[in-house]
Amino acid sequence: MLGLGIESTAHTFSCAVIEKKGKKGKILSDVRKIYRPADGEGIHPREASRHHIENSSLVLSECLDEANIKVNDLDIVSYAGGPGLGPCLRVGAVVARSLASFYKIPIYPVNHALGHIELGKLLTGATNPLVLLVSGGHTMLLAFLNKQWRVFGETLDITLGQLLDQFGRSIGFASPCGKNIEELATTSSNYVTLPYSVKGNDVSFSGLLSATKSVAKKSKVDACYSLQETAFAMIAEAVERALSFTRKKELMIVGGVAANKRLSEMLKDVCKRHGAKFFVVPLKYAGDCGSQICWTGLLESQIKKGVPLKDTFVTQSWRLDTVKVNY
Amino acid sequence: MKLIKKGAEADIYQTTWQNSNAILKIRKTKNYRNSSLDSKIRKQRTIKESQIISQVKSFGIPAPLVYFVNLKNTSIVMQEIPGKPVHDLSESKIIQLSKSIGKLVGMLHKNGIMHGDLTTSNFIFFKNNVYVIDFGLSQNTIKPEDHAVDLRLIKEILNSAHAKIMIPSWKNFLLGYKSIVGNANYVKITKLVSDIESRGRYAQVV
Repeated sequence: MLGLGIESTAHTFSCAVIEKKGKKGKILSDVRKIYRPADGEGIHPREASRHHIENSSLVLSECLDEANIKVNDLDIVSYAGGPGLGPCLRVGAVVARSLASFYKIPIYPVNHALGHIELGKLLTGATNPLVLLVSGGHTMLLAFLNKQWRVFGETLDITLGQLLDQFGRSIGFASPCGKNIEELATTSSNYVTLPYSVKGNDVSFSGLLSATKSVAKKSKVDACYSLQETAFAMIAEAVERALSFTRKKELMIVGGVAANKRLSEMLKDVCKRHGAKFFVVPLKYAGDCGSQICWTGLLESQIKKGVPLKDTFVTQSWRLDTVKVNY
Repeated sequence: MKLIKKGAEADIYQTTWQNSNAILKIRKTKNYRNSSLDSKIRKQRTIKESQIISQVKSFGIPAPLVYFVNLKNTSIVMQEIPGKPVHDLSESKIIQLSKSIGKLVGMLHKNGIMHGDLTTSNFIFFKNNVYVIDFGLSQNTIKPEDHAVDLRLIKEILNSAHAKIMIPSWKNFLLGYKSIVGNANYVKITKLVSDIESRGRYAQVV
């Protein structure tokens, strides 16, 4: 079975083709174009959607070429229905609807966050993990129970990705800033005390952001180092609490911030202490990509014959814990 | 000494203290954490936990007696409560006990204490009584916002770990809570709980 997935929730416009055989999936192509705001600035939704419109045909045709297939070969098409930026979401949905209605292909809206998890499970082989989803849009601890992903902990304000990006931009980096902060952090080992806010399994980052900005006025390297140490220790503690509460024996980390080496190193240590297996989604598929949407669409297609065009919505606020998973 | 549980932040051992059974809770160094941050967290929490356990006992919250505090290795020796965590009880029992849990949380708040880690594993059912444990994240605070954070956490836990019985348990919890803090506080704090939830990521905003 061949599926096409279209991702356009934020800065990435991506199309991917996956071939599904039984429980196995093979990624035939995954093409991306990423909108880059100017240094020190964040995503402008209108500019990002314009970028996606301009690149959509190119990305789509490259993706089909690379997979060596034609549109007619596709069995399903899926797109990210949310959560994300409205103008950006609409671009992906329009491309998906056009293909679905012209070529009569079943169409599936997919929850972007669920996509991160399902692709992570496909690529890492985790079976029943506690999931840490860390990205620009999410910071959540999840476990699967009664056909739904349940939230065992999350951020009460901004996400880990936002924390890193907003701080990074304030010292002049271009978004996404995680990599720059990580590089600068390795050059310091001078820890400056910053607010550490863990509330049960939940975390809060907004106070940490303001405090780090003021440390950066004295030393950018110390600020980067102390920010990573504090924020990641908070995440690691929340993970420990959730592991010990849910008694899961696997931890899987997905989302853009999964690429951070310091964070993985800390979580590896946490898993060792709790006798849990540690899985990280491969670097190439940590960030937003068409594959995550495509694979989830293919899983959905096992139990559903697509949705009518009139129900092909986009929703900016679509929480993962409201999605029923029946496959 | 026998290790009985590796908790999130501490190892729990069974031991004895002057011929009675006791629990040793030791917060060991976490190698993944920056060392100065690590020792600060361990010390602070050990002090807070032992202080607040003694404090809550004074207004009638069933909690373990603290026997000994050792700040050098950040450990606490306390009374063993040989019951079962509410988390592990039957669904009908959890629904029933939610009311007592609500009352206990109400008493804590009324006396200016937020627990900070209200999960169903931190309530122990023993001899027909519910005991509160694990005060590591507790604070002395009368701020309604802090009390609301407590309520939101237990709501999140009911909604995830006990999703099937979330509605009756949460209803019972609130009944118990209201009976202690009174209607005015109840209305104020549950309103703040909704405020916190609406600040969450991708929450449904009306």
